[in-house]
Amino acid sequence: VSRRQASRQVSLRKDSTDGPPFAKVLVANRGEIARRLIRACHELGCATVAVYSDADADALHVAEAGERVRIGPPPPSASYLSVAAIIDAARGTGATAIHPGYGFLSEQPALAEACAAAGIVFVGPRPRTLAELGNKLAARAAAAKVGVPTVPGTLGAVTVGMGEGSAARGSATDALQRQADGVGYPLLIKAAAGGGGRGMRRVDDPAELVGAAVAASNEAAAAFGDGAIYIERYVERARHVEVQLLGDELGTIVALGERDCSIQRRHQKLVEEAPAPGLDAGQRRRLHGLGVEVARAVGLLNAATAEFLLTPSGEFWFLEVNARLQVEHGVTELVSGVDLVHEQLWLAAGRPLSPAVMAAAERAAEPVRHAIEARISAEDPAHDFGPAPGLISRWRPPAAENLRVDDGVAAGSLVSTHYDPLLAKLMAVGPDRATALARLAGALADFEIGGVQTTLPFHRWLLEQPGFAAAIDLSTDFVARAWQPAPLAAVAALSAAEAVAAAWPVLHAQSEAERPTADGGSAWWRDGLAAEIEERLR
Amino acid sequence: VSAERLRLEVRGPAEVIVELPAGGGPGGEQPLSAAGGTNDPPPATHLLRQPPADSAAGRLHVEVVVDGWRFEVVAEEAHRAALRERAARAAAAHHAGGHATVRAQIPGRVTRLWVSEGEHVEQGQRLLAIEAMKMENEIRAPRAGVVERLAVAEGALVELNDELLIVGEPAAAVAPPGAERP
Repeated sequence: VSRRQASRQVSLRKDSTDGPPFAKVLVANRGEIARRLIRACHELGCATVAVYSDADADALHVAEAGERVRIGPPPPSASYLSVAAIIDAARGTGATAIHPGYGFLSEQPALAEACAAAGIVFVGPRPRTLAELGNKLAARAAAAKVGVPTVPGTLGAVTVGMGEGSAARGSATDALQRQADGVGYPLLIKAAAGGGGRGMRRVDDPAELVGAAVAASNEAAAAFGDGAIYIERYVERARHVEVQLLGDELGTIVALGERDCSIQRRHQKLVEEAPAPGLDAGQRRRLHGLGVEVARAVGLLNAATAEFLLTPSGEFWFLEVNARLQVEHGVTELVSGVDLVHEQLWLAAGRPLSPAVMAAAERAAEPVRHAIEARISAEDPAHDFGPAPGLISRWRPPAAENLRVDDGVAAGSLVSTHYDPLLAKLMAVGPDRATALARLAGALADFEIGGVQTTLPFHRWLLEQPGFAAAIDLSTDFVARAWQPAPLAAVAALSAAEAVAAAWPVLHAQSEAERPTADGGSAWWRDGLAAEIEERLR
Repeated sequence: VSAERLRLEVRGPAEVIVELPAGGGPGGEQPLSAAGGTNDPPPATHLLRQPPADSAAGRLHVEVVVDGWRFEVVAEEAHRAALRERAARAAAAHHAGGHATVRAQIPGRVTRLWVSEGEHVEQGQRLLAIEAMKMENEIRAPRAGVVERLAVAEGALVELNDELLIVGEPAAAVAPPGAERP
């Protein structure tokens, strides 16, 4: 059925007159992004191959792909991070392209290089671009070289003088302190090979500098096999804005607008929106131009995102480039009308940027829509967003016009601790920000999830904050400053008790009626999952 | 009909034990949603029946999601709860001391071990860390005592409820070290 629908849609596309970009695409990812990629491939008429670990044998993305290949046990290092297993899967199924999604191997030159060696197209930037951008110091240097302002800090690695003679260590410490004084406090120590907040330390007091530097370097060495660190100024009340970029083999690079991702905790994004609120067309053009400059400096092919800090005084300072599809790409799609995954596939097949993309890029500084996304993760927002694994007992996402739900689970899905806790991305779009926010609020209220704690209550709270609603208090420290979950959770706990007390007569009568039945087990649960839950969580 | 009183134990992002009349308030007229200001929209509340986690008759396990906050509520008539607890206290008195088995509350990988077998630990002392979903979770000693058995090593993958270690009697309360080692 989907194939027939897909070919009908394809026939509407001008650039599809001579067939799909690839005969068969292997999707080297899992969860919501794997489903979204598989859907996009089918829309273009490409056959698909899913890969899965043992933990995902029953996952939705596996069922929805045309073919499936098991690539190993649950730990990512043995499955989704195994270049050899993924290349073997592509060879075995005759896939001619691999889409890595985000995370896992998406930015690893190793997969891109292995694809090239095997004659398979890697849907993403060239291996040397990935290598250059994977080192944040190299990316900073590349940006600085073409005159793009970077966050003030060191342009080279700083040394902490571990494992050397005490004299050498002493002079290295002196040098580190001098460099830090030059950058100014508070500052951030970052890992050159870093990502996701790992190997990152904020230092407010010069006395903490050396200890923090050593800790960050050790953490980076353990996590990335590279202990190189550098120093950046910590900018108070800064916003995180980023530019969506696309580039083709001819070297044409365009920006498809920007996103604001200031709502974060521990450097992980919770909410993203497009466009960034409060910018005028001139500021947008300048920001997009900076993104294109950086992309040009590293020879960008396919899709990437350039991240910037927006300082309270209105300056854009380059942070880094993510050389892949971003988690939050959907809000840009809703605003620009461009399907970024379709474009990635066409670009990977060697097509130049389409007229539709060029037109969308022309309009990007004066957007006429606003979109916002809430990341729905299996996390406990009352306890520092700690992991909340479990079996999903109810999954009823809202459905309405102007909403988009990219999800990776359903009732009966087991949320394990092996992988990222992201369950779904809930997106709303409207002609303006207020409308988009109102639609998202309604959608959050309609989203029914059972079995695991999720970030839903955080999002509901966020949309009620006047500072966020008016976009006057957007900064990356907003969540740390303003999120006070304890009273909210306590009120909800009492409501839960009251709800059960109110329902007691019905519940009790029901349970008394059900108790004598011999096959009780599954009859207890409305969705018939009791036995499975008991077995799997006990 | 006078409403019976219920004891409700709420577990989740916030925890509370309350007694409330069955049927929702003295008049029993309240709907499933909690009481709120008259102009506030009622919070989105969903009740999901859970399988009985224990065999005790008259105890109901219900999953309740209020405004996205997820709780597990165990409800039973208050007088039955009081009886049951009295019995449990009596039983516990016989088992004071003894061994505390520390189990994995979350599946993941053991990234750090701060203690070794035979070591004395204080209540609340860090024992080990389990990494799950890119987060490190510290496991602390439930009571003071000697680490009698260490069932995991650094790097081990543990599943939910796996035994991690056993904290035994404090050193002073047992035979001299080595005396009873197998």
